[in-house]
Amino acid sequence: MKHYQMGGSIVRALDGLDLDIDAHTFTVVMGPSGSGKSTLLYLLGGLDRATAGEISIDGARLDEMDENALALFRRRTVGFVFQSFNLIPSMSALENVAFPMQFAGITSVQRNHQARNLLGQVGLSDRTDHRPTELSGGQQQRVAIARALVNNPSLILADEPTGNLDTSSGAAVMQLLSDLHNSGRTVLVVTHDPRMTRFATHKIYLLDGRSVSETEYQSAALESAQVS
Amino acid sequence: MKPLDLVRLIFGNLSRRKARVALTAIGVVIGTSAVVILVSLAIGLQRNANEQLYGIGDLTQIQVSPAYEMTEGMVVSVSVGGGVKDPGQPQPARLLTNSALDELRAIPGVESVIPREYLMTGVLIKYQKLEGGVGVIGVESDDLASLGLEAIEGGTELGRGVVVIGAMVPNNFYDPRIRPGQEPPPPPQLLGQQIQFIVSKYDEQGNEIRKNLSLRVTGVLKETRGESDWTVYFPLDQIKSLNEWSQGRRVNYNKEGYSQVVVKVQDVNQVLDISDQITQMGFQAFTPQSFVQGINNFYVILQFIFGGVGAIALLVAAIGIANTMAMSILERTREIGLMKAVGATNRDVLAIFLGEAAGIGFIGGLGGVIIGWLAGQGINVIALVYLANQAGQQGGPPPSVAVYTPIWLPLFALIFSTIIGMISGLYPALRAATMIPVLALKYE
Repeated sequence: MKHYQMGGSIVRALDGLDLDIDAHTFTVVMGPSGSGKSTLLYLLGGLDRATAGEISIDGARLDEMDENALALFRRRTVGFVFQSFNLIPSMSALENVAFPMQFAGITSVQRNHQARNLLGQVGLSDRTDHRPTELSGGQQQRVAIARALVNNPSLILADEPTGNLDTSSGAAVMQLLSDLHNSGRTVLVVTHDPRMTRFATHKIYLLDGRSVSETEYQSAALESAQVS
Repeated sequence: MKPLDLVRLIFGNLSRRKARVALTAIGVVIGTSAVVILVSLAIGLQRNANEQLYGIGDLTQIQVSPAYEMTEGMVVSVSVGGGVKDPGQPQPARLLTNSALDELRAIPGVESVIPREYLMTGVLIKYQKLEGGVGVIGVESDDLASLGLEAIEGGTELGRGVVVIGAMVPNNFYDPRIRPGQEPPPPPQLLGQQIQFIVSKYDEQGNEIRKNLSLRVTGVLKETRGESDWTVYFPLDQIKSLNEWSQGRRVNYNKEGYSQVVVKVQDVNQVLDISDQITQMGFQAFTPQSFVQGINNFYVILQFIFGGVGAIALLVAAIGIANTMAMSILERTREIGLMKAVGATNRDVLAIFLGEAAGIGFIGGLGGVIIGWLAGQGINVIALVYLANQAGQQGGPPPSVAVYTPIWLPLFALIFSTIIGMISGLYPALRAATMIPVLALKYE
C-alpha cells in the first residue's frame, strides 16, 4: 500500500495490491495516468517506500532495509530506465554510462572498458564521445539502457521508456529490452502504450491503484474513450 | 567511492559551472588574501619590534638587585655600597652578599653570576684636547664575554691599567674650546690609546678633590643599542677602591652586599622561570625577556585582531558559498535522484556536495594566498623604502621587513578557507544527501 498526501487529502496510489512477478520474465504493467504504475515501479526499485505492506525481491525485504542497504540493493540488483533518460548533460555518452560504476569502486580503466562494451551492445560505438544534446531521443535512451546495465543487474525497471520517442525509436528500445530479457534478466516495463505488450511474457493491468483483469481494463478504457 | 574518483568528480562538477564558481571563489580570494596580508603585517610589526628590542640587552641575562620594602615606623636603613644610615629610607629585604650569590649560582640552569658596581662619583674623561662624560661600571670578571658582550676592535678581557669601552664612547668626546660655528672634531680612534680619567669628590668644606688615572683602551665593544654602548668597563676591584676613596670608608660586600649582579642563564626559555625563583628568594629581578614576552603577547593579540578582520571577509564569502551550493542543489535535484537510483549512498552524495563546497573554498583560498603573498611582497618593497628614510632621519638601523609571511600562514589560510567552504556547504549537502530518490527524480 502506498499513500500520498496531496493538499488536505490522502491519495491511495496503490491499494491492496498483491503481486508475484517471476524471475526471468518480461512483465509489462499497463495503466492510465494516475493508476499507480510508476509508484509500483519505484517501490520495486527501492526508490520509494510503501506506507504499509511487504515488498520482497529475491528473498530480500525492501520494506525492512535502511537507506544504506537500499542504496546497495539499487546498485547491485536494479537497473533503471526513465522516460526522460536522466542523462547528465555535461558528460559524454561514455561518461554517463561509466558514472554509476564510480559508486561501486571500480577503477577508471575498467569503467571505460565496460562502458565502451555496453555502448557497443546498444549500437552506439561511434557515439561514445557525444554529449546527450548531440544525440537523438532514441540514442539517448539507448545510452540510458547501457547505463542501467553497468553493474550487471538481474532486474531492469523501465518507466515509460518509449514515452518520449517516435514509433521506430520506441520499437528499437523495446527490442533492446526484450533482448535483455532473452539474456536471462527480469524486465518490468511500465507503460500506457498497448503496442508494448507484444514483447511481454506477463501483463499486469492497474486501475486506481488496484490490479484488474484484462477484460475489466479494456472495458474501463472503452468507457473513458466514450466519455471523452 | 574511491577518494581519487571523488576528487576528480568534484573538480569535474565545479568545472561545469566555471563562471559561478569563479564569482563565488572571488569572495574567498578577498577574505583569504585579507587574512594573509593582515596577519603578515602583524607578524612583520612584531619582528621589527623584536629587532629593536635586541638593543635592550642579552635575553639570557637577569639583572638582580636587592628588593626594597618600606615598613611603617621604620627608622633604620642600610644604603647599599656603604653610606650613612638614614631614617625613612627603604630597607633592602635581602642583601646580595657572597653567600646570597652562591644561592643564586645553585639555581639549576644558571650559567654564571657576575656582580657589577657603578662608580658612585663624578668622572670626566680626557683624550688629548678632547673631554667627555661616561658611565663607569666595574665587573667581577676577567672577560666581558661572560656578560654576552663582543668586541668590534681589540678584546673583551679586563685587567689592571686597561679598560674596555662601549661602541658610542668615542662619540661622547667634545672639544671644550670649540668656538660657535666651528666644525666639531670627529670621534677619536681610541683603541690602544691612553685615556685620562679624572675622578672627583668634595670634602666637608665643599672643596673638590681630584684623582687622575691613566688607562689604556684594549677593546671597543660591538654596538648593542643598550647601556654598554655608553659605558667604560673596569675590573670590579678598581671600582671598589675608587668608591671607597670617594666615600672615605671601606666597603665590605659580605656585609653590605653588591648593588647589582648579573645572572646569566643557559637557555632563554628558562629565563622567566629563574627570574621568578629569584624574586621569591627576596631579590628584585629584571629581565628583558619579561619585557619581550609582554611585547610578544601584544603582537599575538594584534595578529588575532587582524586575522579576525580578514575572517569577517571570509565569513561573507562563506555565505556566498552556501548560497551557490543551495542553488546548485536545486538545479541538480534530478541528478541527485539519478545518483541515488544508480546506487550512490547518502554518504556518497554528502561527500560529493561537501567536496564541491570545500573545492570552492580551496580554489578561493589558493588564489587568496597567492594574491596575499604577492601583495605582502609589494608592500615590503614600498614600505621598506619609506621606513629606511624614517630610520635614516631618526637614527638606528632600518627595519629588515615590513610584512613578513611565515610558511605556516599560507598553509593555515588554505586549510582554513577549505574548511570554511566545507562548513558553508554542510547544510545544502545534508539536504542533498537526505533527499528521497523518487521525489528528486520527479523534481521539475
